[in-house]
Amino acid sequence: MKCSRCRDVAEIALPSHHAGFCRPCFLEYFSRQVDKAVRHHRMFGRGDRILVALSGGKDSLALFRELRHQGYDATGLFVDLAIPGSSDAARAAVEGFCASLDAPLIVADMAAEGLPIPLVKERVKRPICSVCGKVKRHYFNRIALERGFTVLATGHNLDDEVGRLFANVLRWDAAYLSDTGPALPAESGFARKVKPLCRLTEFETAAYCFFRDIPHHSAACPYSGGASFTKRKQLMNGLEKESPGSKQAFYEGFLERARHAFAALEQEQGVSLAPCVECGCPTSAGLCGVCRLRKQVGEGDPR
Amino acid sequence: MITVRITPGDKVLTFDRLNTVLQLLNKLGLGMSDALVARDGVLLTPDRKLRRGDELTVRVVVSRG
Repeated sequence: MKCSRCRDVAEIALPSHHAGFCRPCFLEYFSRQVDKAVRHHRMFGRGDRILVALSGGKDSLALFRELRHQGYDATGLFVDLAIPGSSDAARAAVEGFCASLDAPLIVADMAAEGLPIPLVKERVKRPICSVCGKVKRHYFNRIALERGFTVLATGHNLDDEVGRLFANVLRWDAAYLSDTGPALPAESGFARKVKPLCRLTEFETAAYCFFRDIPHHSAACPYSGGASFTKRKQLMNGLEKESPGSKQAFYEGFLERARHAFAALEQEQGVSLAPCVECGCPTSAGLCGVCRLRKQVGEGDPR
Repeated sequence: MITVRITPGDKVLTFDRLNTVLQLLNKLGLGMSDALVARDGVLLTPDRKLRRGDELTVRVVVSRG
């Protein structure tokens, strides 16, 4: 296969774009896709201070590398969940990578916050992936606001977005569908949130890490066995194989033609938010989910 | 003989006869966008021919949480 741009030998085939690219042309394509997402969805500008949530995985590190490469003011944030056999390796990958870029990094330590995930898992009888996600999102938002960042960026890629959209459509979850998208405005105690990799698949971010020689953490979380999102990804990948481009069409079509309807419905029927009485983060329940969780974990009260 | 190292997991497999990267992916039950296939630090597209004595790395890209 030849590179679609320069006719050199291609290193990567992208059936959804009817294209193949050599290494330099792929890196150019990748940068352009990020730039297109940032501009099209008005994610941020040169004057913004961007906090990038880093997990140590390929997507977040690729995003951080690319934003720094494009000259944006980007700072990394790692939430150390204290999961044995996972968090130490992920933290080492993030710290090593930020040091290699000479980039600033903030680390939020959940053990120091009284919320180490193994203890949370022991005390809370709900699916741990959903509780862990809530804890991470809470600290991403809180640190972005407290430290004066104007935007919070995450490494969610097209596969993540399509998987989430697919799951929420299956449940017709109007609340989640209303805020599905690559750019959410700052409002009601929430920082502006963006997903600049929304036009790129995880295959493409993996290739970017390979070409840029980014050492990333790839071991699965020991608690994520049987997580439903991997099964949904497999389903969507099967569809993409039969019909290249269907993921992008599904996602872009939703954003253009359906999202506004769910946003309007949520505005009409959704719950109103107020600051948490303890931490000030937005909640619909007086005490936010993470403050409730901290009490629950501290009191050793399994629910 | 073609040697294939699969990551993550570091599993090593050998194949007596494989003509292309696509055949390798099919043998492994992987789709074209499920894994990166590399030989000597260079990625190979599915149409690339394989040679006897090749040492390949297959990096599965689907994240598992």
